Amino acid sequence: MGTTPATDSPPGAGQPRLEADLPTSPGAGVRLWRASSHRFLPSLVMAVIGVAFLVPLGWLLLAAFNPHATSGMAAPTFSVTNFRAAFSAGAGRDIANSLYLAGVSTIVATVVSTLAGYVLSRHYLPLKGPVLVGVIFLTGLPIPLLLIPIYQMFVQVNWLNSPFYTSLVLAATSVPFAIWLLKNFVDQVPREFEEAAAVEGSGQMRILVRVVVPLIMPGILVSAILTFINSWGAFLIPLVLDSNPNDTPGAVGIYNFITANGQVQFGPLAAYGILFSLPVIILYIISSRWLSGGFSFAGGIKG
Amino acid sequence: MATISLEGVTKAFKGKVAVDNIDLDAADGQFLIIVGPSGCGKTTTLRMLAGFEKPSRGVVRIGGRAVNDVPPKDRNVAMVFQNYALLPHLTVAKNLAFGMRIRHEPRKTIEREVTAIAEMLGIGSLLDRKPAELSGGERQRVALGRALLRKPNAFLLDEPLSNLDAALRAQMRFELKRIHAQFGVTTVYVTHDQVEAMTMADRIALMNHGHLQQVAPPETLYSEPSNSFVASFIGSPKINLVEAQVLRDTETTVISALSCKIPVNGDLGSTLRRMDGDSVVIGLRPEEIRPCAAGTDGLPVFQGLVELVEPLGSETHVAIRVGEQTLTCRFPPRSGLEAGATVNLQFDPQQMKVFDAESGTRLG
Repeated sequence: MGTTPATDSPPGAGQPRLEADLPTSPGAGVRLWRASSHRFLPSLVMAVIGVAFLVPLGWLLLAAFNPHATSGMAAPTFSVTNFRAAFSAGAGRDIANSLYLAGVSTIVATVVSTLAGYVLSRHYLPLKGPVLVGVIFLTGLPIPLLLIPIYQMFVQVNWLNSPFYTSLVLAATSVPFAIWLLKNFVDQVPREFEEAAAVEGSGQMRILVRVVVPLIMPGILVSAILTFINSWGAFLIPLVLDSNPNDTPGAVGIYNFITANGQVQFGPLAAYGILFSLPVIILYIISSRWLSGGFSFAGGIKG
Repeated sequence: MATISLEGVTKAFKGKVAVDNIDLDAADGQFLIIVGPSGCGKTTTLRMLAGFEKPSRGVVRIGGRAVNDVPPKDRNVAMVFQNYALLPHLTVAKNLAFGMRIRHEPRKTIEREVTAIAEMLGIGSLLDRKPAELSGGERQRVALGRALLRKPNAFLLDEPLSNLDAALRAQMRFELKRIHAQFGVTTVYVTHDQVEAMTMADRIALMNHGHLQQVAPPETLYSEPSNSFVASFIGSPKINLVEAQVLRDTETTVISALSCKIPVNGDLGSTLRRMDGDSVVIGLRPEEIRPCAAGTDGLPVFQGLVELVEPLGSETHVAIRVGEQTLTCRFPPRSGLEAGATVNLQFDPQQMKVFDAESGTRLG
């Protein structure tokens, strides 16, 4: 474990440039050519895959700014009428609804799975092994399968048409994987950290909040982002459990452009799609800065 | 500050006994070191004092109060871990202040005391750094500082120096001793290094296989080991343990070893008289064996072949072959010995330690 602070550049990052900087050394050109031919095929495959992803994205961008957009690609005319149409169709309200559903379900799922992951990692529980296997199994259950009994339950307790209760179901769909993920993160935290805090006078809850949570923050962020994205894109659960038009989230709202008037309104659909993607993209950008810090106990524990 | 005592404490993990019925106490302000080879139960003993493990049987007392059911946070003890356990997401200052903030001490007090302790430990300039940016010795000081700020009834230290290099270890030994003198807090220190135990302890508790072997001040442990394990664990170079036989005729009892007949009398003599023909083990410290001219003083003299000479400057360690045995001897510098030479050696039977060959118990 080094005593010097880590540098940002990965080891050997300067290597290829070094070779290119020394063309005078005999055979350098040949070596360079060989190196690139060696990478030609992988690069080609990557390029094909990249284009396959970029074309729909390009269409989305072009169509969003094209007032006469069709399913084909056309040069844009840079008009914002599509965005106006999207907003007047309720894009703002839908996105706010999505933010509510995704936000509440992320908070609930993260809190629940952090607590559960900690207990499953640290404490003796009868049948702990089967419980964990069960948790992993639950991650594989298809949601439509669960939705019918859940709908029945919601009818019984009168929870239908409530964004809050809908978000609880969204949270529940993310909890199994999040528990499994966070349990593994807690497993990596050396117990000495907790013991040190305990002799300093911390109780169990404070140890969790002040010691364990900061140490597994990368895991909590990953779990929160996955939950958020899962809930953000959720279509079936809010569609079934909340039929109030004022509660429609983005993923359901975008559907209106496909079915309205029996034809697809490509322009507003693309504009809506861009608006709907923005929060997730912003979330990615913010979280990638956090996550690049990595998961490390460097310096705290020597061993 | 408080006394610490373990009364008949046993700890078993899933039927495997780690600590077996030990009675141990440390007086108020004492520096007690628990030493022993790995797996001897010393760390488990310390963890029972801290409250991380619950004794299977027996009572743990801190300041006279039975603490078996008291959680670590309410024991008012401070612990320094082998791997320091500094929180990597907090700066040095925040690591130091961690406990005080949990105990809701006023911000002004925290600031003042953190600064004072950091100055005392020579880490005043590192307060804004994260643990990853510190050297091993600096992390060690931060861990110590955090423990000191606890103002504990007792200090518990678990091999705190074993991750440091030799020079730093020697320096920290000195500093720990100084800090103990300054604060006078009852300290229980666990180590596998007999040098640390000998240099720092007021009293040493030597453990092996979950049992207490002997509890005594360092000098006593060295000069009066209660069994052959204690004798061989304490002291560097190690004590020479030599197989020997008890022989007895009508008047005298002798021990036959190293091609000498060593007369024994007094209490030891009468003990050994009952053991005619039995095997025993005699222990000779490296410094108790001296080179000599042939046949002086009436002391037993034997011959050996020099196998290896290790000059250390202040002294010379010499490995000498006597029959089947190789003895390690500690001679003055410039002894003039060379490998292959034959030397006459003698020792004072008064200093010789005799152990039972089977149980290792000290006979005299």
